[in-house]
Amino acid sequence: MKKRLGIIIILTLLFAGFVANWGYSYKQGLKEAYTPIIKEQTIPTISSEKKVFERSSFGLKYLDMPIDSNHQRSLSTYYSNRAYPGAPPSIPHALVKGERGMGGKACLQCHLNGGFTKKFNAYAPVTPHPEMINCRQCHVAQVVGTTFKETNFYKMEAATAGNNNALPESPPVMPHPLQMRENCLSCHAGPAAPKEIRVTHPERINCRQCHVSNTSDMVQTEVFTRTNNN
Amino acid sequence: MPIKSYLAHPHSGMKEELVLALSQFSECDIFPSENKDVVILITETATTDEDDKLTEKIQRISSLKLLAMVSGFNSPN
Amino acid sequence: MDHFKNINRRKFVKQMALLSAMSAAATMFPGIIFAEEQEKGIPAGANLDWKKAPCRFCGVGCGVLIGTENGKAVAVKGDPKSPVNKGLCCVKGYHSIMALYGKDRLTKPLVKKNGTYVETSMKEALDLVASKMKETISENGKDSVAIYGSGQWTIPDGYAASKLFKGCIGTNNVEANARLCMATAVTGFLSSFGLDEPMGCYEDIDYADVFVLWGNNMAEMHPVLFSRLLDQRLKRGVKIIDFATRTTRTSMASDKSILFKPQTDLAVANAICYEIIHNGWMNKAFVEEHCNFSKGLTNMGYGLEDNYAFTDKPEKISFEDYKTFLNDYTPEKAAQISGVSVKDIKLLASYFGDPNKKVMSLWCMGMNQHSRGTWVNNLVYNIHLLTGKISEPGNSPFSLTGQPSACGTVREVGTLTHKLPHGVVANKKHREFAAKIWDVPVENISPKPTYHTVEMFRALDRGDIRFMWIQVTNPFVSMPKLNRYRAGAEKDDRFIVVSDVYPTPTTDVADVILPSAMWVEREGMYGNSERRTQYFEQMLEPPGEAMSDTMQLIEVAKRMGFEKQFYYKDETHIEEIYNEYRKHHEGDKHNMAPLEVLKSQPGALWPYVNGKSTKWRYNAKYDPACSNGKDFHFYGLPDGKAVIWQRPYEPAAEEPDEEYPFWLGTGRVVEHWHTGSMTRRIPVLHQAMPKAYVELHPDDAKRMQIKNGDNVKLTTRRGQIILPAAIDQRGIPAPMQVFVPFFDESKLINELTLDSFCPISKEPDYKKCAVKVEKV
Repeated sequence: MKKRLGIIIILTLLFAGFVANWGYSYKQGLKEAYTPIIKEQTIPTISSEKKVFERSSFGLKYLDMPIDSNHQRSLSTYYSNRAYPGAPPSIPHALVKGERGMGGKACLQCHLNGGFTKKFNAYAPVTPHPEMINCRQCHVAQVVGTTFKETNFYKMEAATAGNNNALPESPPVMPHPLQMRENCLSCHAGPAAPKEIRVTHPERINCRQCHVSNTSDMVQTEVFTRTNNN
Repeated sequence: MPIKSYLAHPHSGMKEELVLALSQFSECDIFPSENKDVVILITETATTDEDDKLTEKIQRISSLKLLAMVSGFNSPN
Repeated sequence: MDHFKNINRRKFVKQMALLSAMSAAATMFPGIIFAEEQEKGIPAGANLDWKKAPCRFCGVGCGVLIGTENGKAVAVKGDPKSPVNKGLCCVKGYHSIMALYGKDRLTKPLVKKNGTYVETSMKEALDLVASKMKETISENGKDSVAIYGSGQWTIPDGYAASKLFKGCIGTNNVEANARLCMATAVTGFLSSFGLDEPMGCYEDIDYADVFVLWGNNMAEMHPVLFSRLLDQRLKRGVKIIDFATRTTRTSMASDKSILFKPQTDLAVANAICYEIIHNGWMNKAFVEEHCNFSKGLTNMGYGLEDNYAFTDKPEKISFEDYKTFLNDYTPEKAAQISGVSVKDIKLLASYFGDPNKKVMSLWCMGMNQHSRGTWVNNLVYNIHLLTGKISEPGNSPFSLTGQPSACGTVREVGTLTHKLPHGVVANKKHREFAAKIWDVPVENISPKPTYHTVEMFRALDRGDIRFMWIQVTNPFVSMPKLNRYRAGAEKDDRFIVVSDVYPTPTTDVADVILPSAMWVEREGMYGNSERRTQYFEQMLEPPGEAMSDTMQLIEVAKRMGFEKQFYYKDETHIEEIYNEYRKHHEGDKHNMAPLEVLKSQPGALWPYVNGKSTKWRYNAKYDPACSNGKDFHFYGLPDGKAVIWQRPYEPAAEEPDEEYPFWLGTGRVVEHWHTGSMTRRIPVLHQAMPKAYVELHPDDAKRMQIKNGDNVKLTTRRGQIILPAAIDQRGIPAPMQVFVPFFDESKLINELTLDSFCPISKEPDYKKCAVKVEKV
């Protein structure tokens, strides 16, 4: 009897041990099996920083483009097309794809990358914001050259080129805000760039390494003076 | 006031002479290449007449093989 | 006015004419060079006198040409002959000379009397400094006086300081602000290779196929070098990988951007090593021939308590031990720690593992201002050593620096408490060697290092240090946990001397302010990140009574009775000091170029042997100091082998919790340099970046209803500050992180930062502490 009891106890102990062991290792197994997967990240975009580099892959090509002095734009023609500096330019030609032309299938065909257009005997300016395709939300055509009534609107004077540097030959600061125009190369390089503001070094693509913006038209900034003098 | 730029190609081995000859003209700015046989020449003259005369004089330089104009500007002042 | 406009217009037209001719020539003759023309400047700047100098700002060490007219600096150009920047500068460099002409430039010595500053003569001020120093030494002992300089010290400045304090006075109380930025790079190099400073040089950029930027916003912080990367991408299609904790301009320009949680670069670097070994990408022959494996102590602490001390105990291990250790860092496990996906970890590893790709790692403050900074430096070297991608053109782990002479002066002259120009104070032979050149009794040089920077300011607070001379740096903007250290300096019986060019929060606490001659108002040399020593001559007269830091030190030394050691003549003192300094570094391993060479060209890389710069150290093909007959020789360590270190991941000193749920990181912006005392006085730069701000992730901002420009209060256990929010502006921090630049002296973010440091390098971690963010 004692012997039998002993065997039963041993067996029970063994069984209990087995259960405990099995349970433990099962739990451990569960732990290992559950590894939350770290998903690939999506990196946020900083549009004011990102777009500077957008056309940069063309840097070397811009460098090689010959200057076609017969079809250059100038700053004055550039601004004559705008109601005020910074205003969206109006469309100085008839709508090629008609009234219902939209973005990628119309305007962007010429204004995405530019190039010479025989029809208008001019190089197409490149848009700094090709991702916005409802072009005519902001850009309207000039159908007639007259006005309904005269206007008293004062057209602010635009920034001029050649006088934005602090020192002789130092890199000029940017005299205009960047919103919608973060993509420097689109206006400052290539044959459609106004000749006064065409960059001599389109292959240097980190533009804002040397050219900082002058914020004074948005915030009044004086020169630095110490305020916490003891 | 015409401003023009040219590529001036010297006869072989005569770049130095060409640079020297060109530097005699006060209307000329000269930029010789460091490593190739070519010299960039920028001329600035007061009138179109003067410009023509200068070009004539330059053409007569013996060390000059070829003078090719690249761009020209003419501004009223 | 119209006349000038016309002249400008004509200049411009001429430039256009020239450019069109140049591009025409370039199509006919590919590779044509017009160096002459570049150098003279296209619209020839009247009668400017152009002279070469290294740039005054960061550690890249661009060559600039400074145009002077009638004794004033009026224009700057990149030096096309400089192999560093090849004619290009950044916006700071182009406007650097304007920093000489701020209206509030210090021109007269000022002595504090009864709470107000009184102008005095330089002679009197120097007399006072010398007598006060003597008095303090006689009352409180040698170790109660200290000098705190910087990586903007020229080589002669640092040399004179070290000679005066260590050699003549006999105290090791010599430190420099480079402790706050480069000390970790030094201990990283020393522990892995036995010798400081990079093996390669900037030319590596022209050969590498992949660039991995470890926590380095290069587009803003080292823009000129970053432009060289971009240039290579246009020409050769190289890959740029941004591995960072914050999305920046660099992320936008990179081919791939990977974000990791602060501090977890340790885990990812180990996982890369794991992948390299387990995929059979290890360069076995290289590792067997040239590497040892070691481990050091762990759980080192964070140096938060006064008088904290730590010495690592290296212990050799086997490759098998190391391999077993790495089992804790499988890509899956590292992904859990770092938040980087397994795929991205494997991608990173595959770039290093690909035998056909040359890889350059670049880093700066992200890895150095890190409470386990020495470790993470070691780990990046591990990756390059395991794959044998080191010491040859294009294969290069490259530690960048932030100050013009952090390498040249602080690291090479050795203006740190434990260092001598050659070797360390603890080594008897090194002391004897230095004493001989300095012409002082060897007993003068104390064998015991005293205080590293953080501890030095703690000693000042405690009163162990009573006299401190601060030159070319602004610690009361740049020290972490600022409130404590500024209060310490303001205590009654502390005497603070500050040599600087402008009034700063540091001069505000000074008892004596000495006006310094800046940059090209004097003669000197800087040493940049690639071991390049560059000379500049005096081009301008300093304003008023301003005097170079070297001369100030010499004058005080003479007044303290050390005429014999400071025998230099006024006209030739820089040359004499440099020639004396060169003696410390004689030999194939560290020879410095003679002064005539430095004067004739845009710098030279040491070791300068047989008239040649050494571009790749430890590689027998390029480095004459290699002597073991093999391809590579890591001669910095006794057995000629480099060390692969077993270094685990450990958390940061203070991590976000319930009360302070955000990470706070600090740093710079492209417009301003360090504490802004110079760049903010340049109108162009100040107008572009007038004040500090706090960057938030757009999701956090939305949840907390914070709009761009709203005032936000940041609170840490050490202080609080109110800043305008910047959302979706220059950079975007990861969710639950904020970033604040430290250039703005009216918004002192360092009152909030933590003074924890890497126990090995004693460099504080400015990138990580816990902060509470509230809208106000």
